[in-house]
Amino acid sequence: MTLNLCVLTPNRIVWDSEVKEIILSTNSGQIGVLPNHAPIATAVDIGILRIRLNDQWLTMALMGGFARIGNNEITVLVNDAEKGSDIDPQEAQQTLEIAEANLRKAEGRRQIIEANLALRRARARVEAINGIS
Amino acid sequence: MSCSNLTMLVSSKPSLSDTSSLSFRSSLNPFQLPTHSSSSSNPSRSSSVTPIHCGLRELRSRINSVKNTQKITEAMKLVAAAKVRRAQEAVVNGRPFSETLVEVLYNINEQLQTEDIDVPLTKIRPVKKVALVVVTGDRGLCGPFNNNIIKKAEARIAELQGLGLDYTVVSVGKKGNSYFVRRPYIPVDRFLEGTTLPTAKEAQAIADDVFSLFVSEEVDKVELLYTKFVSLVKSDPVIHTLLPLSPKGEICDINGNCVDAAEDELFRLTTKEGKLTVERDVFRTQTVDFSPILQFEQDPVQILDALLPLYLNSQILKALQESLASELASRMSAMSNATDNAVELKKTLSIVYNRERQAKITGEILEIVAGANALT
Repeated sequence: MTLNLCVLTPNRIVWDSEVKEIILSTNSGQIGVLPNHAPIATAVDIGILRIRLNDQWLTMALMGGFARIGNNEITVLVNDAEKGSDIDPQEAQQTLEIAEANLRKAEGRRQIIEANLALRRARARVEAINGIS
Repeated sequence: MSCSNLTMLVSSKPSLSDTSSLSFRSSLNPFQLPTHSSSSSNPSRSSSVTPIHCGLRELRSRINSVKNTQKITEAMKLVAAAKVRRAQEAVVNGRPFSETLVEVLYNINEQLQTEDIDVPLTKIRPVKKVALVVVTGDRGLCGPFNNNIIKKAEARIAELQGLGLDYTVVSVGKKGNSYFVRRPYIPVDRFLEGTTLPTAKEAQAIADDVFSLFVSEEVDKVELLYTKFVSLVKSDPVIHTLLPLSPKGEICDINGNCVDAAEDELFRLTTKEGKLTVERDVFRTQTVDFSPILQFEQDPVQILDALLPLYLNSQILKALQESLASELASRMSAMSNATDNAVELKKTLSIVYNRERQAKITGEILEIVAGANALT
């Protein structure tokens, strides 16, 4: 019995095939989903999604959204998703440093909100690369 | 003697006065010919034409340049048609996302109907400042597309000023950017570059900006100005209220007409009677009930909090895609008109050229015959 995972972003389908197990980062911590999991609906935080296919783990960076787990059907709706293998490590590191610098420079509620979001996203991307190694 | 680009005259020798008036039509700006009404029986010329005699060589080079321009405009039209197809595919690709989102939104709203929801994105505040997101194109040669949306933006700004409300503009697209840059009296919050095919990343950038503006209470209302794609020859600039969102996910027009979130419009490029047309279909997503034992991992309010930014993103992306499709359709029809005009211009220029050529030959023959007569 395998799970069918669907990761959707507003402009394309990132992942649509069967997996053995996933680990999802939600607002209230990480949850692991195995086949025949009880149906739940959860919000997904900016973080990484780990997918296991036959003893091999893949990481994907998710930029926040929602997940619904039904009868062995997982649907994850996110603003943006990037596979760990598609991210350039140096570029991700640079983006992280720029985001940190921006947060330190940020003044005013609005800039702090923006800078925080950008930082969390950059961090998720860097973690996605490190997750594979 | 070089032929000026502004006016042209055919030598009106009596031997050639069958059609002594010609019709020219201005096609593209570089040519800027005065428009004459074609009147085949009218021998008199309009007084605005100053007689300039064009030589054969100039005519020939003119015909060549019109031919080249025609090739370019035809190519641009075909490229725009191909891109409309791609834009259409992008819309189709986005449907699974928006369908699932709408389903979930409906179901959660049903569960929350009795409770009081307090999500930052749906907070309705007394409006003091409005943010306008104006979506324009990047390149020109697309007919009245950019002008229409900018005029609508100016009209809305005037309205807001009349109501005594403050405003700021978020401009997306090079054409809008250059327009607002030249007008420093309009406060612009941020300039964003458009791209050839809008992806979630661009929508995210706009959504971030708008989100932070709204949540930090710098603005109290966000409106989205984009061009709705009605048909290949018609596109409508519209204004939609983006924030505050209604928890049910309805998207409301500026006049208060609300479209249900479950209704989705899709446009398709097809052929009808041999010509390219666009058809719009309205879909209604089936809202299937959740399985009754579905548990919410977090508080339903938290889940709604996570869902609404997704909805915001997908709305912005849809607006960008529609805008792109209308720009492409506008460009297609503008280039098609330009091609037709170029074809006509080439025809009239060729006629003029041939008459010149024949006149020259006749002249030479006359000279030779006269010379021969003089000798004998």
